[in-house]
Amino acid sequence: MILESEPLMDHRPPVTVKGTREGLTFLLDERADVERVCAYLETLITGETGKLFEGPTVDVYVDYGKRTLTPQETWRILDVFRKRDNFLVRAWGSTPEARDASRRYHDARAQHIYHGLVRSGQPLSFDGDVVIIGDVNPSAVVEATGDIYVFGRLLGIAHAGVGGDETAIVAAAEFAPMQIRIADVVSRAPQMRATMEYAYLEGREMRVAEMKYFLPWHKLRKRSGREERR
Amino acid sequence: MGTAIVMTSGKGGVGKTTTTANVSTALALLGKKVCMVDADIGLRNLDVVMGLENRIIYDIVDVANGDCRLEQALIRDKRFEHLVLLPAAQTKDKRALSVEKMVELVNELKRSFDFVMIDCPAGIEEGFRVAVAPADMAIVVTTPEHTAVRDADRVLGLLERDKVGEPRLIVNRIRPDMVKRGDMLDIDEIVQVLGCDLLGVIPDDERVIRNSNRGEPVVLDTAVPAATAYRNIARRILGESVPLMHLEEKSGLWGRFRKWVGGR
Repeated sequence: MILESEPLMDHRPPVTVKGTREGLTFLLDERADVERVCAYLETLITGETGKLFEGPTVDVYVDYGKRTLTPQETWRILDVFRKRDNFLVRAWGSTPEARDASRRYHDARAQHIYHGLVRSGQPLSFDGDVVIIGDVNPSAVVEATGDIYVFGRLLGIAHAGVGGDETAIVAAAEFAPMQIRIADVVSRAPQMRATMEYAYLEGREMRVAEMKYFLPWHKLRKRSGREERR
Repeated sequence: MGTAIVMTSGKGGVGKTTTTANVSTALALLGKKVCMVDADIGLRNLDVVMGLENRIIYDIVDVANGDCRLEQALIRDKRFEHLVLLPAAQTKDKRALSVEKMVELVNELKRSFDFVMIDCPAGIEEGFRVAVAPADMAIVVTTPEHTAVRDADRVLGLLERDKVGEPRLIVNRIRPDMVKRGDMLDIDEIVQVLGCDLLGVIPDDERVIRNSNRGEPVVLDTAVPAATAYRNIARRILGESVPLMHLEEKSGLWGRFRKWVGGR
């Protein structure tokens, strides 16, 4: 018989703080009572632990999750943040922006590793990026909403960026595909067999480059806001 | 309890039936009790290659329908007492045999034979499913052509999905002179693409066709290199390590073959 039971949720603090390169992200538990959130937050930033937050101006991102807040509640919570004069509230909301700040440097995209040979007539599709450890045989099709990397021979058809991501790429250790598709652009492969190459879109035109040029290209791609996409 | 081996390819005309006849005969030569099952219902050929077409009274569909006993439909080979054929029906089509019936039949044959060799129809439809269902092991036959390799790849995918033993590969009708000139896929390339164990390589030889037309499997003619290749395959099926290591085998076979070509 359980005499004193408590909802398990209560053991979790109603506020989670994450430090990122951008600043601090406060994730407010969307199920906790506003008063409880405020009380906890106040002790956290002005109480004994407040010392941790001392220092130069810091960017603060607040994510209150899916809850609906009244104007009063909003001010109630923001008032707590105002108690620290080095806090600069940069984002307030349940928008991905606030959560992104904590996720920006872990890639939130799904990633898959597929071990084995992809045979003709064996369609494979993935949500996110995929690494194939093995060959993709002629007339086999691999599809992914993100990038496709083949650690082996790509002899079949690869379709990256299914769903419209034009920044997706197809790369292979041995690059001799029958056909490459990125988003909705289709291209027949170059006739030669190349090693360590990748295909990408420039405008609506498909290009192929050696893998050694991939890193600078990838940095450009990241800068152009690829991480907003999921 | 015997082993059921299905001989399949996907593409037609690569030599499934010829290979079934020759490998079965080679196994019989090695003293094994072998039953060949022609699963290509409606397009039966195995009886012709074995030279047994005039002895057919009942066929596999009659057995499945209960019109005769299994033993009544089995045709004993002219040359070997312990080599028999269960012929396909010629008047019916592939729907005449269900997966359950086929499994039941082959399991019954496995009780009295060491090997049940199933000759699979071309294609990957119903007939293929029926032929593959009872198999403990699959042999995929291909020729060194892109079309055949592509279909073999597809069939291997299906066999892997259905978890039919560990499929093994026979490359049929290789012509070393063409490979040398780069006009034909070489064996390494095929094996690499298909990613499965090589069971043997059969050189192209017109005598294989000539003997099939006469109803005498070429494997009985020791002078033909292809016959040796078939015998080696049979020995490998029995687990013997005939100088396999397919590279060695290739050079040995090619060496012999080149000599034979040059000697003419």
